[in-house]
Amino acid sequence: MFSFLLRRVIAALGTLLLSSVMVFLAVQALPGDVATQVLGRDATPDAVAALRKQMGLDQPAWERYADWIKGALHGDFGTSLVTTKPVGGEVAQYLGNSAMIAVVTVLFAVTGSVVLGVVAGLYRDRWPDHLISTVSLVGMSVPEFVVATVLVLAFSVTVPVLPAVVLYGPGAGFGQLLPAVWLPAASLAIVMAAYIVRMARTSVIDVMASEYVTTARLKGLTTWRVVTRHALPSALLPTLHVIALNVAWLVGGVAVVENVFNYPGIGKLMLTSVQNRDLPVIQAIALISAVVYVVCNLAADLGSMALNPKLRTRGGRIR
Amino acid sequence: MSPLMPEISHRPAPGGAGIPRRSVLTTAAAAVAALGGSAALTGCSGAASASPSRAVPTRGPAGRPDRGGTLRIARPPASDAETLDPASALSAYEYLGALYNRLVRIAPDGTVAPDLAESWEPDAKASTWTFRLRRGVTFHDGRAFTSADAAYTLRHILDKATASPQAPVLSPLVDPGRLRTPDAHTLVVPLKSPHAEFPSLLTHYNCYVVPEGSAGSIGRTGIGTGPFRLVSFTAAGPGRVTAYADHWAGRPVLDTIDFYTVADMQARSNALLAGQVDLLSQTNLDFATARVVAASDRATIARAENAQWYVLPMLTTEKPFTDPRVRQAMKLAYDPAHILKAALQGAGTAGWDNPVPPNDPAHIATHPAHDPEKARHLLKRAGHERLAVDLYTSSYDPIFTPMALAYQESAGRAGIRIRVKTAAADSYYTQIWMKKPLMATYWYTGRPVDQLLNQVFRGGSSYNETAWSDKEFDALLDRARREIDEGRRRELYGQAQTLVVERGGAITPMFADRLVGISRKVRGYAEHGFEFDYLHIGLKGA
Repeated sequence: MFSFLLRRVIAALGTLLLSSVMVFLAVQALPGDVATQVLGRDATPDAVAALRKQMGLDQPAWERYADWIKGALHGDFGTSLVTTKPVGGEVAQYLGNSAMIAVVTVLFAVTGSVVLGVVAGLYRDRWPDHLISTVSLVGMSVPEFVVATVLVLAFSVTVPVLPAVVLYGPGAGFGQLLPAVWLPAASLAIVMAAYIVRMARTSVIDVMASEYVTTARLKGLTTWRVVTRHALPSALLPTLHVIALNVAWLVGGVAVVENVFNYPGIGKLMLTSVQNRDLPVIQAIALISAVVYVVCNLAADLGSMALNPKLRTRGGRIR
Repeated sequence: MSPLMPEISHRPAPGGAGIPRRSVLTTAAAAVAALGGSAALTGCSGAASASPSRAVPTRGPAGRPDRGGTLRIARPPASDAETLDPASALSAYEYLGALYNRLVRIAPDGTVAPDLAESWEPDAKASTWTFRLRRGVTFHDGRAFTSADAAYTLRHILDKATASPQAPVLSPLVDPGRLRTPDAHTLVVPLKSPHAEFPSLLTHYNCYVVPEGSAGSIGRTGIGTGPFRLVSFTAAGPGRVTAYADHWAGRPVLDTIDFYTVADMQARSNALLAGQVDLLSQTNLDFATARVVAASDRATIARAENAQWYVLPMLTTEKPFTDPRVRQAMKLAYDPAHILKAALQGAGTAGWDNPVPPNDPAHIATHPAHDPEKARHLLKRAGHERLAVDLYTSSYDPIFTPMALAYQESAGRAGIRIRVKTAAADSYYTQIWMKKPLMATYWYTGRPVDQLLNQVFRGGSSYNETAWSDKEFDALLDRARREIDEGRRRELYGQAQTLVVERGGAITPMFADRLVGISRKVRGYAEHGFEFDYLHIGLKGA
């Protein structure tokens, strides 16, 4: 148990380091650099050269990376090359805004889709299953910006009850952002829920066909009890991993939706930063995304352990 | 997309066209978002268009605005490091005309008109210019505007530390140390070489007048003499200006303007459709979106006529465009009227390879006719009988790709094979522009003819996107600058245009009207070149 945890933590740290290196290399490979992107087409060559020097871009790439890692270990993520504000505070602000969307999305998408998936699994090949499966298949196939655009048309343009875009900057308050959270969250929830529904349905079908469920039924237990006590815990095991991956996707994958709604979240910050070649910000976001991925996966593994008696015993192994 | 920044998303750089930083999405995301967004919206409009006409209106709503009210403008950000310093390359463009005045501006007929300068005259050789400045003008902090502020503004633009895009235009002419202010309302500008059109260079949006000694703070304070004064400003964020009651030209119609920053063009038009904003600045809507907007109960379309010109620059330093016969053939081979129809649905004017706008007093209308046979013949003589070239485009601007495809089709009839290649939008202006031999781009009109020809076509100029260098052309520009007689000067600028059309590297298919999304409540919207009428715009029933 302990060694398992230790191995997971070491693997997690390795993943973080590796991802920071890969992001750094990827950004180096982007055409153009921050000096030309920041100053734009108006810039005189002298101005570009001066800015490059001022930003330390004339130093070798590995030196800049080493500086950054050293700072990050001390909790200092450097300053943004564009706004010259500390990266840590800036990222935290945007992350906080995105968290509002994420919380709403997770609450609705996870609970709703698990329930729908279980219902579909229990009513396999009957009309509730057909309905849920078809709708979730559509949800899965339609890109989030289409869902978002349709929602804007419905709830901002045709029946104007919710804002189509956020007009405030990243410093917007909770009250200002609250009305703007629902449409982005709904767009993400619809796309995300589809996967969880499909997974939950399949797991429930598998489990309900298994021998121990048959045994439990033969013992004369009620369907309700069979489902809640015997089938669900096992059925949720594989679903947990899908949920974990989707929650992690929320952090990195909201970029498109946040852009459609002009929502001042981490996804929008990432887009702007990549476009500006704002290296310290990109790296900080990448590191945070990696942390979220690792933590979500770790949580899913621990959740699996809690749900699966076999894994709770000593020497139990994760497949 | 925002091409973007259709967002734009774009900015009237001296380079004129959008700046790469304007588009926020990565190319893929931009492409799909634009496509998906407008497709979905178009579908909706199809269903909703019970209105008999689906045509996009040519004018905004007519009538007079009510006094007061708040206009909400959605704009694309210049950068996350935006500033209110007008001289800067990163100036927040929309605020400038509200907060500041220039010495001179461009009138709708293309002539130079008074702003803070009431009159100006050259000496006999046009080598020294004297500007008589308006009296009784105050800055927003109550200080009186004097010639010292005007001289300071010029020095600030020319200061290397400012890195102003207008500095390369003015520094060959103006020595900051020799500026004279004989009295509080006279500014004397001795030039390094004679220039009969010098005042026209001060109509640029980098030339807004700031108070003396404000270089360190102007980027935050925004203290000018303009019709509005600053309440708040956030780089790449929201801001507000309020009417300046003591403005020398009278109080503006509006009480307040709220500026909001929306980087993505689709998001910008959604905000308009949802009634969250009243005007989309620096946004040329694509036709699908424009029709949806025009069909809406809340919003409609106004036009800034011939607001931008589109170009397919050929790098004259790269084969096969080093051969003037090939360049000529590339121009004779296509039909501008076809491109205007296919890419702009007719919303503009055919360019016939002359970048000087039709409403500019110096514009000459003569041009060679479309002649694919002659193009074939020229290519044969140049040894490029089966010419095949790559034409780069991107989703940076919604018109680029339709224009490239229309050119491909039109030139194809003359036997020229064009391969259209799509490049990333966010690095388009750093990696493709002025680097690939043939690509698509655009500029905002509003540059006076002297600045336009010198900045974009003169040999060695930093914005000479075709790298064209023609001694005869450069000499013509020099002669025009020295020519005091206006009629003869026009003639020289006309000859220069003929050289651009016949020998230059720029294929200029068309001038495009900018389709501007505005609320149906907006009255008195007027915009041309870099001029936006902040004084008379207002709202009806607000």
